[in-house]
Amino acid sequence: MFRLVLSNLSQRPTRTIVSMVAVSMGVLLILISVGLTYGQLTDTAQRTRRIGGDFMVQPSDASLFFAFSAGTLPVGIAEVIEQVDGVESVTPILVKFISERFHVVFGVDKTTFQQVNDTLRLVNGRLFEGPDEVIIDTIYAKSHQLETGDKLELLGHEFTVTGVFEQGTAVRVLMDLEALQVMNGTPEKATVFFVRAKPGVDVEEVYGRLTDRMPHYKITKTAELQEIMAGTTPVFYEFLSAMVFISVGISFLIILLAMYSTITERTREIGILKSLGASRAYIVQLVLKESVLICSLGAGLGYLLTFGAIELILFTFPSVPVEVPNHWKALALLMAVGGGTLGALYPALKAAQLDPVKALGYE
Amino acid sequence: MNRTIEIAKKRDHEVVVTRDLQMVYRVGKVEVPALRGVDLTVRSGEFVAVMGPSGCGKSTLLHLLGGLQKATAGEVFIDGVELGGVSDAERTEIRRKKIGFVFQRYNLLPSLSAEANIDLARRIHGNGYMEETSAREMLGLLGLEDKLHHKPYELSGGEQQRVAIARAVVNRPAILLADEPTGNLDTENSRMVLQMMQDLNRRYGQTIVMISHDSEAAATAGRLLEMRDGRILNRVDNLFYAVEPKRV
Repeated sequence: MFRLVLSNLSQRPTRTIVSMVAVSMGVLLILISVGLTYGQLTDTAQRTRRIGGDFMVQPSDASLFFAFSAGTLPVGIAEVIEQVDGVESVTPILVKFISERFHVVFGVDKTTFQQVNDTLRLVNGRLFEGPDEVIIDTIYAKSHQLETGDKLELLGHEFTVTGVFEQGTAVRVLMDLEALQVMNGTPEKATVFFVRAKPGVDVEEVYGRLTDRMPHYKITKTAELQEIMAGTTPVFYEFLSAMVFISVGISFLIILLAMYSTITERTREIGILKSLGASRAYIVQLVLKESVLICSLGAGLGYLLTFGAIELILFTFPSVPVEVPNHWKALALLMAVGGGTLGALYPALKAAQLDPVKALGYE
Repeated sequence: MNRTIEIAKKRDHEVVVTRDLQMVYRVGKVEVPALRGVDLTVRSGEFVAVMGPSGCGKSTLLHLLGGLQKATAGEVFIDGVELGGVSDAERTEIRRKKIGFVFQRYNLLPSLSAEANIDLARRIHGNGYMEETSAREMLGLLGLEDKLHHKPYELSGGEQQRVAIARAVVNRPAILLADEPTGNLDTENSRMVLQMMQDLNRRYGQTIVMISHDSEAAATAGRLLEMRDGRILNRVDNLFYAVEPKRV
């Protein structure tokens, strides 16, 4: 049967290729949507985690995505947090979303930030000293073609880039906390506090004490950040579900159309198979195997296209993170093949029901 | 010698029996009778030709014998099994195990090579047949060894029909049903195909029912039935038809 399946597909190469490409588009749609979503989520979570510390303290209604948060916490809260038993250091961070450049800037207190953070590595230059200085990460430097000493226009103000740090920590641009507070019109305010526990203490116990001491604040363990983000990101799963639905719909409709027209065109051949004694199950299997093969090849092509598209995205927009988890790769294949198989089911059953005499007489 | 005895034994039983077979087609509200009570018996090893003008019911008779259609009334027995009393799946099983078809338009699968067309019939048939003849051997017997990998469109009409016959008999069916097998062929190829069918009948005891409106083609059979208006009018034995197998 497999030889017949292969020969049927090679007999009509244009339709086979078009069907494969359509299925691959569905796979591409799923994987790129997932890749961008998960990439952004993972990247945000990882970079946030790499700020350092074991906990984040925010207002109770704040988002874990700092771009959506404002500077509403008094910096003085840091003293309250520091008094909690087991806390080693606290650093306030003010987050500012730069809408015209679509990224965020962190205003940090250099001294306490370095106490909490131990991942910031300067590639060249030095840390910012005054209100007109910023440091940027390697990706930002590359994508904006900036070097140490260059000028950078942000928030209607001209800054000097005093250093470039290795990407992966916090955000792309770091500047002085007080300078950003002034520019933002939120003096003495912060968006979030990063808290480091003392070495050797039980983090869970410190977490318990923090939540007891500050019941009206959102306290998040940074180790659980990614999980919590995925669960609390607005429409995260709804968005992915919609993408999957569209992709499965594409596979379903394309295969339905392709197989329906194939069956109509091959009515006579089905009559021949019936005259040879092929059972209904054999004919259903034949059609389904063709569709499974098309969908599998289409999914393979979809993987290749996804790989190419990711490379293109990373080349064109180096700061855009893309990550496709392995279970989504398997799921995309299942969705494509499943959608295609469902689409082939009606034509397959229709073919199996054909009257052999009418089928043999079909012109 | 052993083969002669086997063939003689096989001739003992009735492979095809029809009793008062009737078929009525409905075209809208109009009923069009195609068969009006056909009684027919074909014994194993017989080569029967059914002759008659277009529309006399020949093809309908063949389709009913092959289990491709169900009769409106009457009975069809194939190797003792009444086709009207079995399910569609069982009728398919009987077609697969006991019947081989040859059509006027060859009906080879265009996407498969000659060898693959024959092989497909074997695969659909399953592994029940012990003395398996491979597609390659079969094509060798038919003098088509060099056409193994040719697609139907690369073969002449005569070659296609020979492949179609090979496909029909590769599973050694109880009965070979041929629907105008020479209808699309020139004289030379017609002669060759008819010779093949005679050989199958004489050498291997293959039971054949062939439909034709060509009297010359029909005359190659051992028994002639003449049909008119859905009935069998005349039954004539061909006295010149040698039923004994040639020495191989």
